Amino acid sequence: MSELQGLGAELSKAEQAGVEIIAVSPDPNEQSQKLAQGLRLGYRFVADRDLAVTRRYGLVHAHGGADGQDVPRPATVVLDRDGLVRWFSVSRNFQVRPDARDVRRAVRAL
Amino acid sequence: MSASTRLAGLSVVVAIGALVAYVLLLRIAVVRNHPEGYVVAFAVATTLAVLAVVRARARRWPAWLALGLSTLLLVAGAWFNFVVARVPDASTALRVGERPPDFTLPDATGRPVSLADYRGRKPVVLVFYRGYW
Repeated sequence: MSELQGLGAELSKAEQAGVEIIAVSPDPNEQSQKLAQGLRLGYRFVADRDLAVTRRYGLVHAHGGADGQDVPRPATVVLDRDGLVRWFSVSRNFQVRPDARDVRRAVRAL
Repeated sequence: MSASTRLAGLSVVVAIGALVAYVLLLRIAVVRNHPEGYVVAFAVATTLAVLAVVRARARRWPAWLALGLSTLLLVAGAWFNFVVARVPDASTALRVGERPPDFTLPDATGRPVSLADYRGRKPVVLVFYRGYW
């Protein structure tokens, strides 16, 4: 969440309006909705309960969860207007996320 | 207050302070992205506690308490950062300049969101996230 908060703080209102930020998580919808409302962020939170989409992206950390369950590898992907990948970052340590300034740079470069 | 007790107090302040600062400042990228910082702080606190134990003359318990606390945090912190938090490196389906897999997933209100709907309309930032970081 700190990454999403950082993104909210770093991107200007205009930039946030000009780009759709979609947060993908296996968390149940209710939890994501509470988070989105609590943070007052205009992001779309989508639930990938069984990690099917995350798996197709090659972003599953097998047995990486506290109870040995599969979890997502934290990743941030910037797509241009044509839907092509322009920049992405995948964490090697789940505490580490891309700096919002690097994401902003990638968004501005579109 | 003896030098030993002062060192023990400083050790506890450094150890607890590092933990609190890390949690409170998680939103700041430079703090979040250098989690080894708290491990270093715990190592400093452990060193201070060792010095406190070495110098302890009359009242020894503050030094031993500081040593126990800082060692516990150092071991737990290093274990968490270097073992638990590690994410294996593996190839992804992402290639710069290519189109990633399409998907349709429900949003928080149950409405379907399709990646393809944004094509030709709007750039998208996808964030695959987990936990509080």
